[in-house]
Amino acid sequence: MSDIVISTWGLTKQFDGRAGCRDITLQVPRGVVFGFLGPNGAGKSTFVRTMLGLLHPTAGRAELLGKPIGNIEARRKVGYLPELFRYQDWLTGLQLLETHAELAGVPRSLRRERIRHLLERVGLTGRENDKIRGYSKGMQQRIGIACALIGDPELVFLDEPTSALDPIGRREVRDLMMDLRREGKTVFLNSHLLSEVENVCDHVAIVHKSDLVVQGEWRKLSDVQTQVEIRAEGVSLALWQALQHLIVSAKPLESSVMMTGSRWLIQLSHEEQVPDLVECLHREGVRLYELTPRQPALEDVFLHWVGRKEAEHAHHRETLL
Amino acid sequence: MLTIAKLSYKETLYKRIFLITILMTLAYVLFYGIATHYAAKQIGDQLSNEIGAAQMEQQMLATQLIGVGLYFASFITALLSILATVGSIAGEIESHQIDTILSRPLHRRDVVLGKFIGLGGLLVIYAACLFIAILLVNLNFGGALHVSVPASSMLTGMLLFALQPLILIAVALWLSARMSTINGGIILIILYGIGFVGGFLEQIGQALNNHALVNIGIVSSLVFPLDSLFRRTMSQLFNSANDPLNIAAQGLFGSLAEPTTSMLIYTLLYGVVFLLFAMRKFSKRDL
Repeated sequence: MSDIVISTWGLTKQFDGRAGCRDITLQVPRGVVFGFLGPNGAGKSTFVRTMLGLLHPTAGRAELLGKPIGNIEARRKVGYLPELFRYQDWLTGLQLLETHAELAGVPRSLRRERIRHLLERVGLTGRENDKIRGYSKGMQQRIGIACALIGDPELVFLDEPTSALDPIGRREVRDLMMDLRREGKTVFLNSHLLSEVENVCDHVAIVHKSDLVVQGEWRKLSDVQTQVEIRAEGVSLALWQALQHLIVSAKPLESSVMMTGSRWLIQLSHEEQVPDLVECLHREGVRLYELTPRQPALEDVFLHWVGRKEAEHAHHRETLL
Repeated sequence: MLTIAKLSYKETLYKRIFLITILMTLAYVLFYGIATHYAAKQIGDQLSNEIGAAQMEQQMLATQLIGVGLYFASFITALLSILATVGSIAGEIESHQIDTILSRPLHRRDVVLGKFIGLGGLLVIYAACLFIAILLVNLNFGGALHVSVPASSMLTGMLLFALQPLILIAVALWLSARMSTINGGIILIILYGIGFVGGFLEQIGQALNNHALVNIGIVSSLVFPLDSLFRRTMSQLFNSANDPLNIAAQGLFGSLAEPTTSMLIYTLLYGVVFLLFAMRKFSKRDL
């Protein structure tokens, strides 16, 4: 069993030469929650639909679970919750799950128990005999998640899975994704909600204007800047100006009158500079009470990489001119 | 494929269109039965008053009456086939219902074939029942206008009659795989209309020995051969009734020149080719 569940090489899907996704080369390891992140219209759904064979790529190639996309075998162990989820609303929830169990090739003997378990998992027990047309949007998204999981997939594509859910529902879906990861399944999460990705994803790819900006382990990607929060006595703006060779920026934070010293957010170029900072502060007679490394928010990481990519493009254009 | 067939079958049954069609069909058969009863009664009285009354007139009325009944039955079946099928792929693409189905390990051609089997099975049963209902009305309430058709002719006629929705479904699936529901529906209804008018023109042309009208009818049959299937059904029913008068008596709803076996083969191939086109088109398109 390969450790890579999704591989793409220059996968491109353009519509009359516009939009879609362009030249995406990606590898998704098994057993992770992979966040595919980008603003609306960045090409995330196009990428997923191309992977599932709903769209035909205009260039490049790709494999799902080691098999080329377009081959039905590639979809045998795949589940999918589309962004625009619509199901046969004249069916009941139970009939829908039975139909998808049949389509996914679930053995008859396992169907009843699996459906019962999934209904429980998505919180629809007791509503399975209602027609889908009577479901709220959130319930339809829940039955969609159950549908995606009915074939006991190794890989699940969830395209904006919490778009119709309330905060409790969103938390339940986050828990579900973590459960799936614990079970060894891979979740490919398409989202424009940074907070959603930040909370559950181990690996992240960022797409912007059809292009893949960056991909990798979230821990490494987020290591784009080192920030530390300090609380110290005897610090002033003048001091930070004197330490310009060491720090990138210093921003005062709100302090409580009950606290000794003032709080600052310091940005450094590298993590290795943290001991240097401490040494400098000590040398300058600053009394340091607290120093806490701060993880940058996904939003900062996203903006950092998108900004970097755009700067590269601008530089490339200038070189050509 | 069978899951899709089952789903398509259920969808048509669950939707109101089918229920309404069944109720209206029952109303139509009832109306046709009443009309047949009173027409037969009046003709019966006339025949008893006019000793040696023209057998030709009686035969003509009998076949005209059953011709009208079957022609309208064919029209209802065609309309139901168009309405049930033309949106079956396009509608699911437009609403994205097809996305989760196609994310399963399933060939797209199997989806088309599944829909053909599901809808085709249902509509063949419907067409066969309607055909039998019209003949039963004639046999039970026809009186003096009752036609005597051998069982084998009745069976062949029924099979030919029930073939009509299959041809329509194949074309409708092709249209549904390549364009929106409304556009596909308009094209198919116009095609059906061309066949319908062409069929009448051909009968008039045959009666008047007007080659231009006959040729228009032939061309329209080649463009959309559904009418020739109906004409073949009628000639199957009455030409084999061993009564030479019947041939001349069928008028606009019958067939003055029976569509050839080659035409029947052409019609079958027409359906098969459109079904293959539908599978090919659906497999190649983006969703």
